[in-house]
Amino acid sequence: MGSISLNGIKKSFGETEVLKDINLDIKDGEFLILIGPSGCGKSTLMNLIAGLEELTGGEIVIDGNDVSEESPKDRDIAMVFQSYALYPTMNVARNICFGLEMSKMPKNEQEIILKRVSSLLQIDHLLDRKPGQLSGGQRQRVAMGRALARSPKVFLFDEPLSNLDAKLRVEMRTEIKKLHKRIGTTIVYVTHDQIEAMTLADRIAVLKDGELQQVGTPYEIYNDPVSHFVADFMGSPGMNFIECIVKDQNLIIDSGGEKYELSIPCKDALNNSNLDVVLLGIRPEMLTEIQPLVADNSFVQQIKFDVEVLEPMGADTVAIGQWNENEVMARLSPESGNTAGKGFDLQVDTSKAILFDPNTGLRIR
Amino acid sequence: MNSFKLTNINIGRTLIYLILLFFAFIYLAPLYVMFTTSLKDIEEIRSGNLMALPMDPTFYAWKKAWSSACTGSECRGLAPFFWNSVRIVFPAVIISTIIGAFNGYALAKWKFKGSEFIFGALLFGCFIPFQVILLPMAKLLGSLGLANTVTGLVLVHVIYGVAFTTLFFRNYYVGIPTELVKAAKLDGAGFFAIFRHVFIPLSTPIFVVTIIWQFTQIWNDFLFGVVYSGSGTQPITVALNNLVNTSVGGKEYNVDMAAAIIAAMPTLVVYVIAGKYFVKGLTAGAVKG
Repeated sequence: MGSISLNGIKKSFGETEVLKDINLDIKDGEFLILIGPSGCGKSTLMNLIAGLEELTGGEIVIDGNDVSEESPKDRDIAMVFQSYALYPTMNVARNICFGLEMSKMPKNEQEIILKRVSSLLQIDHLLDRKPGQLSGGQRQRVAMGRALARSPKVFLFDEPLSNLDAKLRVEMRTEIKKLHKRIGTTIVYVTHDQIEAMTLADRIAVLKDGELQQVGTPYEIYNDPVSHFVADFMGSPGMNFIECIVKDQNLIIDSGGEKYELSIPCKDALNNSNLDVVLLGIRPEMLTEIQPLVADNSFVQQIKFDVEVLEPMGADTVAIGQWNENEVMARLSPESGNTAGKGFDLQVDTSKAILFDPNTGLRIR
Repeated sequence: MNSFKLTNINIGRTLIYLILLFFAFIYLAPLYVMFTTSLKDIEEIRSGNLMALPMDPTFYAWKKAWSSACTGSECRGLAPFFWNSVRIVFPAVIISTIIGAFNGYALAKWKFKGSEFIFGALLFGCFIPFQVILLPMAKLLGSLGLANTVTGLVLVHVIYGVAFTTLFFRNYYVGIPTELVKAAKLDGAGFFAIFRHVFIPLSTPIFVVTIIWQFTQIWNDFLFGVVYSGSGTQPITVALNNLVNTSVGGKEYNVDMAAAIIAAMPTLVVYVIAGKYFVKGLTAGAVKG
C-alpha cells in the first residue's frame, strides 16, 4: 500500500551537501518521525520524497516502484505544510477539492469525498469561508482535509503544528494521532519538537548534518541512544552528562567536597574501552529524593547534592546543581520541601545510566 | 491653560491648511485657465482677463478641436487620431501586461539556470533611453513591413513595456509564498494550471497597477508616435502637436486648450476610476494565506 524505501539518498545544493547517503525503510501504515535540529536536512528529505526537489543521488521506492524520476502528482503523495499553504482566493471546499478537480474527477464524486473529509475533520460549517477568515487551528484542519481528500498512499507532514499556540498544538497532536489510527495510511512527519516525536511516532529517525544518527521506537531512542547527540536531543529536561574519572570500574563523582564511587551496570564495556575518563549519561528522573526501595537494586546510591536553582514545573520540581563541575538536573517531588542553596542527599539510580566516549560522543557498550 | 493650548493648535492647523490651499491653487491654476479658456470665444480671449470666468460659455472650441481643426494639411480635428491612439493603446497594454504576468510568474516561481540573469537583463531594459533604440527599431519595423502602421507601434510599445510589466509582476509574485506552488504541484496542477487557478486570482492589484502604468505611458508617448507613424496612423499626442503648430489666420487658443484637454482626458479617467487600486497595489505586499 504505502511503503517507502529510501536508498542511498544524496542531495547537494551547489557545493553544500545537505543529505549524505540516507538509507531508510518505512513500512506501510507506519508513523515515522524525522527529527533533528534546524538545518539538518529533514525538510529537504521530505521535499525529495514529495518530488519537489530533484535527487542528487540514490533512489526513492514507493510500493516497489522507483519514483525517483516521477513528478510530484504521479507519486500519490499528499503533504501538509508548515504554513498550511491554503489557496487564499478559494473557499475551503474548493481548497479541499482542488486536487480532485485537477485529476478531472466528476463533480458529484468530489461532493461525496468533500462530505466525508469535512465531517471527519469537523469542518462542515466552514466550507464556504476563505482561508483568511479561519483561525490557525481551522486552517490546520483544512490543510489536512486537502491532503486526505485524495486518499494518497503516503502523507507528508512538514512541521504542521509549529504555527499553533501551545494548547492548540497539544490538541491537534492528539487529533493527528487519532486520525492515523483511523485511516492507517503511512505518515512521514517532520518536526524539531522532541515531545511531538515521542508522543506520535511508531519510529523516530534522528537526523544531524544530513546523516541519520539513529532509527528506532521512541522507547529505544529515549532509553538506548547510540550517541551523545541523540541522548541530548531527546527528553525534557534533557539528559545529564557528567564527565567522570574511572577508578576500579566505578565512576568518581565529586559533589563539591565529598567524593563518591558510583557503581554502574555496563562494567565490561567500560573495561574494554580502556578509557580513563568517560561521559556518564543519566536522565533527571533517575535522580530523586530518597525513597523506600521497592526491590533489591544494587545500583541505587546516595550522593550529596547542593541545589543552586529550583524550577517548579507543577507535576514535579527540577533541581539544578553541580557534580564534577557539570550541571546536573534532578527531578524531585514538589512536596519534597527542598529550597535552593541547601544541600541534601540525592538518590541516584544508575540501572539505566549509559556511558559515552567523551572524545567521539559515541556510546560505550 | 487648556484653551490656550487648543488655540495654539488651531492656529497651527489653520496655517497648514492655508499653505496647502495656496499650493493647491498654484497646481490647479493652469488646468483652470485651460478649461475656462476653452469655453471662451477668441474675441473674449484677446480682450479679457486670463483668470476671468467665460462670460458666454460656448463649446465651439471643443467641437472644432474634435472634428474640424487643422492638423497640418488635413482639417478633420483630433477624432481620427484619438481612435488611432485607442487602437494602439488597447492591444499594446493588454499584450504587454499578459506577457509581463507570465514572465513575472516564471521568473519568480520557476527559477531555472540563468533566470536571475534574464531578469537582470529585462530590468536593464527599463533604463534604456527611448532615443537609443530609435534607429535600430526603425530598421526592424522596416524589414518586418510594419513601418508607419498601427501594428508596428503596438509592437514597439509591447517590446518597450515588457521590461516594466515583468518587473512589476515578478516583484509582486516574489511576495507570494512558494509553498502555494508546491501544494498545487502535489495537487497535480502544472505550470499553466497553477498560474490560472492560484496566481491570477491573487493578482488584481498588480494587474490594475500595470494597466494604469502602461496605459499612461503609451497614451502619452510622443517620440515613438512621431517617429514610427505614417500620416494616417499618428497617435493623438502627435496630432495635438501638429494642431497647435498649424495656424490658419490667428492662433486659436481656445481650440488648442480644448484639444489638450481631450488628449489628456483618457489617462485622467483611467486614474480616477482605478486610482484607488493603484495606491493599494503599490502598497500590497503580503498575501495572507
